[in-house]
This record gives sequence, C-alpha cells and structure tokens, in this order.
Amino acid sequence: MSDLPWKPSYLRGALFGVGGVAGVTALFTQVLAVNASTVGFLLLTVVLATATTAGFRVSALVSVAAMLCFNFFFLPPVGRFTIADPENWVALFTFLLTALVASHLSDRARKQTIEAKRRQLETEQLYALSRAILLTESSRPIGTQAAQNIAQIFSSRAVIILDSKSGQYFQSGEQATTGWESRLDEVVRLGNHQRYTAEDLDVWPISLGGKPIGALGAMGIAVSDGAVQSMLNLVAIALERVRTEEAANRAEAARQSEEFKSTLLDAIAHEFKTPLTSIKAAATGLRTLDPARTGDHQELAAIIEEETDRLSQLVTEAVKMAEIDAGKVRLQREPVSAEMLLMGTVDTFEGRGAERFRVSTTTEANLLVDRELMTLALRQVLDNALKYSEPDSVIACKAVETGEEVQLRVEDEGPGVPERDRQRIFEKFFRRASTRDQVPGTGLGLHIAREITRMHGGDLWVESATSQGAAFCFRVPLRARGPK
Amino acid sequence: MSNGRILVVDDEPQIRRVLRTTLAAQGYEVFDARTGEDALLAIRDQRFDVVLLDMNMPGMGGLAACREIRAGADVAIIMLTVKNTEHDKVTALDAGADDYITKPFGVPELSARIRAALRRLPVPQGSDAEVIRLDGEEVDLRARRVHRAGKETRLTPKEFDLLHYLIANPRTPIPHTKLLQAVWGPDYGDQVEYLRVFVNQLRKKIEPDPAHPRYLLTEPWVGYRFEPPAS
Repeated sequence: MSDLPWKPSYLRGALFGVGGVAGVTALFTQVLAVNASTVGFLLLTVVLATATTAGFRVSALVSVAAMLCFNFFFLPPVGRFTIADPENWVALFTFLLTALVASHLSDRARKQTIEAKRRQLETEQLYALSRAILLTESSRPIGTQAAQNIAQIFSSRAVIILDSKSGQYFQSGEQATTGWESRLDEVVRLGNHQRYTAEDLDVWPISLGGKPIGALGAMGIAVSDGAVQSMLNLVAIALERVRTEEAANRAEAARQSEEFKSTLLDAIAHEFKTPLTSIKAAATGLRTLDPARTGDHQELAAIIEEETDRLSQLVTEAVKMAEIDAGKVRLQREPVSAEMLLMGTVDTFEGRGAERFRVSTTTEANLLVDRELMTLALRQVLDNALKYSEPDSVIACKAVETGEEVQLRVEDEGPGVPERDRQRIFEKFFRRASTRDQVPGTGLGLHIAREITRMHGGDLWVESATSQGAAFCFRVPLRARGPK
Repeated sequence: MSNGRILVVDDEPQIRRVLRTTLAAQGYEVFDARTGEDALLAIRDQRFDVVLLDMNMPGMGGLAACREIRAGADVAIIMLTVKNTEHDKVTALDAGADDYITKPFGVPELSARIRAALRRLPVPQGSDAEVIRLDGEEVDLRARRVHRAGKETRLTPKEFDLLHYLIANPRTPIPHTKLLQAVWGPDYGDQVEYLRVFVNQLRKKIEPDPAHPRYLLTEPWVGYRFEPPAS
C-alpha cells in the first residue's frame, strides 16, 4: 500500500476534519456558550474521527487546525493567538498532544484492520484457489483450469502457466498473450521473479521440492509475496498431481487389461475343458465298461481318448503360456536337488515310458527353483525325447555342476535336430515339417520350457548328443537370479 | 446291494449325464445336483457315501459347498476341477475335500479315486487299546470318534484313518508314500500336500497347541510320527 500524497480518501478526510473543526467552532461561538473544556473534547472527537478514516497525516493537520481554532476562539484573550493565563498554555499543549497521540493510535488500528482485511481476503482467495484446484475436472487440462481460476480469483486480466516437464503453456483465456511464452521461458532459466512493466506482467518460477517445474505469468495482479508463494505452491501441486494421476491411470489401465486377460483365459480354459471332460469320461467309459467288445470298438474309443488328451493339453499349455507371457506367474522358489527334480519329473511318466529314462547326477547342489514350474519345463523336454526317439531306446537325464550353475541334460538317441531348426523349435507353435504329421504335439511345449527356465535366470537350448540324437540342455544358476 | 451311493454335483448337464451312466454301470447308485445349494438340500435328506463336487459352479460355488457339507456330514468328498496347481489342490483339501481330480479325467482314474474314498481302515480286532487317551482327548478307535472334554470332535473318515494309522504305529517315523498308500490306497504316493493339509487339520482338532504339536510330529524329509503321551 503506497501512500500517494493526494488520494481521494485523504482529500475527503481532510475536508471532513477541517469542516468538523469549523462546524464545532461556529456552533460554540455563534449559538451555544459553553466552557473551553467541552469545546476541547468535542474538537478531539473530530480529530479522532478523521484519524480512523483518513490516516495520521490528515489527522495531524486537522489537529493543528483544531488547536489554532481552540486557541483563537476559546482561550482568553479571545480573538487573538496570544494566551494570557499560563494554565491555558498547558491546556492548549495537552490538547495538541492528546490529539496527535490519539490520531496516531487510531491510525495504527486502522492500518492493522486494513492489513487484516487484506490478509483475510488473500486467505479466502487462496482457499478458493485450492478448492478450485482440488475440484478440477479431468475433461479439460488442469493447467488451463488453474490459470482460469487464478485469473478469476485474484482479478488478473490474463494468466499463463508453463509446465516445463511437458513443455505446455496454459492460458486463462483468449487475451492477447503473444510473446509471453518467451518471458516464462526466461524466468524458468533465471529462477526468480521478474516484472515486465510494459505489459504490467509479473512472472514467477514454479518449483516443487527445490526443483523448477515451470513458471506462472499474471497480468495486473496485486497480491502479497506470501500469497504469491502459496499460490505457486498450489499450482505446483496441481501440475504434479496431474502427472501422478496420469501414471496411476496408465497403471490401472494396464492392470485392468491384465485382469481381463486372465479372466478371459480362465473362462476359455473352463469352457474348453468342460466338454472335453464329458468326451473323455464317455470315451474311457466305453473302453472300461464293455471290455467284451474288442478290436475296432476299443481302437476307436482309444482314438477319441487320445485326441481328447491332446486337445486338453493344448488348452492347458496355451493358458500356461499366456499366463507366463502376461507375467502372471510368480516363482515360488524352494531348494531342491537336481536329482530330486529329475527323478520327480521322470515319475510323472509312470506307465508312459518312465522306464526309458536313466537319471545320473554328479552334483549334490540344491537348486533354488519353483519346483512345480521347473518340473513342468522338464516334462516338456522329457516328453519330447520320448516322442522323437525309438520306442525302446534309452534317454539319459544328467545333472552336472559347472561353477555357479547346474546343467541338466536330456540326451536321446533319436534323429537329432538339424542345425537350422535348433533355434526355431523353441518358437511358439513351431513344428518341424518332417515330423509334423507323424508325432502328436502342440508346438508350445518347448517354448514354455524355455520361458520357464529363463524366468529362473537360466536358459534352454539344444545341441548334438555325444552319441547321436538331440541333447537338450537346461542351464540353471545356483543362486537365485531374476530373468535376463 | 449297490457299491455305494454317489451324489454328482456339477452345473454341466453333459458331465452329470456321462457320470451317471458310467458310474451306474459300475454298480453305484447315482444321484445328481446342479448347484451346491441343491446338493446341500439333497444331503440334508439323504445319506450318500461319496460326493463328486465341481469346484467352479454358479451360486455358492464348490469350495463353499464343500465346507458346508463337511460341517454337517462325514461323507467322502472328491473335488472336480480344471486347475491343477498345488495351490488349488491345497485350497480344495483345506475346504474339507478328501481327494481331488483334475478335469478332464478318465473313468478308470475316477473309479480308483472313488474306491479310495470309500476305503476305511479296518479296526484291529481284539486290540487292547480301543480308547487312546491324550491330554484332554479320547480317541475311540472302535467307534471312530474323538472326544474332547466330553464334547465330540468330528473327524472326516480320512482324517480318522490317518490318525488311526499313526496311533497304530507309535514312535515310528512313517514315510509320506507309505502313509498315503495306507490311507488313500495303492494308487497314491506323490500327493505330499494331502498329508500336509490333513495333518494340519488333525492338529487343530486334537493338539492342545496346534502350532507346537506334541503328538503328531513332522519328521523332516521323511514323513510323520505319532508320539504317545508319557504315562
């Protein structure tokens, strides 16, 4: 609040004060005759009234005028500025002193009231702004809404906000703010408040946690520094909140899509397996309930059963693969020895060729793996070895410790895998042309096996076995490591 | 005389149809229900030997139905489900199922599981210790009941058989496979999680402090052991 010498309120106050003094003087000299003390008190009242409305300077002036009138018209000898009785000197100066001190005090109270009112207004404005920022809708950019709110609440003609992280400028309205962008950029660079008098524009940097995140420019705004700082903090929080919300929205969208995927997968698995259950139960029922019927009948029922198993396995593997792809599978590692792992997997082939496997291990080391998943991976490779080698040939399952890892090798005596297919057999749905029509399979097993091994931080590949045939090698790190 | 009364609970009509046909052909009396709620009503009015319960059904679902059935009857329950992770098995067994079979299954496998569920360990004839006294509990081997402070604690048939087998071989560590084959049947042996769940349930029912068992002890890497109270 600057004190310009002749503000209208000063002039009004001065006129009121001087008029008041003249009025009191006229009243008591022309109409009523009272003693000097009464006049003095009434004049003091006029001085105080002036001080409360027009400030100290005006009331000081009025005090002197009142003192002169008091002296001239009421203290003997009346009609002259001289004073006969020394007592009246005391009265006169007491009057002046009282008038000045009272003026000063009431002026201070007035100023405090004005200051308090201003603060209250600013607090209300900041409250309104924080409320507006909290209640912003997501349909329009929050920067634009903040700029409009500031312009409206702080009665600024135009407000512009720069969000440095996204490089976007937000304006309160259609006002011509050309060229302001460069001003904001400049303030972000300088890092402190700048005033551009030509445009009546104030620009402040916006920072959060000490880091500059943008700038705010406002035209014709009159707010205290404290309020500006609070306003900038609010804008900073608003801009940052948008970013957090956007990130949260993206994460939520991703989560929902994952949830949808896994719900869909569960539904698909259920929908496929339900009819398969009826078919399998019916086919096996045919075979077991009527063993008297042999030959063609048994053969046909066996075909239905085998193909049902294949379809069912395809569904299981597709769901498992989708779960792994979606990152839905979490490893539950536990220590298990390589021998236990191999033996346990071989056991699952009981009645389906388990006797063809020869397990030999030279390591006592415990692997830290998800037993269920690792068994699933080994099963794919063991199943593969059974299918792609002569029905009576032996399949070697070995475990060898090599430094920081254990190699599990599954070696068969089949025809092996030609060099050009050694990568591709691990791809989804890849099936080698030469065997596609002879060996049942889904083209997913090896892919799943490798994905599971990689989740453990290891790898799976195929090479030539020492004799002939194929050797599938699992490399499993001894210490738990995440996937590469 | 039928081989037993079986209640098939599945919302899928074709599965009910095929199970009814195949199981009836094997000499069982077969009944069916479409939902867990219907099954509970049927079980309230009639006695069954085995319930084949689908895990995934509309309405209350298989797990809740299993808990309800288990709370009121000691009928053998076999869960039917499409999932076969260890977690799913443990969930089913925890709900009170005696066994678990993964869809799609063949009739021979299902028959084997039904036979296993119907199996009861024979009570040793003329055995001296017909009633075993633990701290606060009485296990009556002949009547297949456990009494705790005068109140009867209900054990499922498989829980009782498991406890019975362990009590019959005191102070001896019994391997998982042997326990499974003794209680469930010769087709079992790998299902270590069955034992884990059933032993935990037994501990809750007979141990004074299930977290620190005194009678049913785990033999790490081997199996379980019954330690009779010092007399």
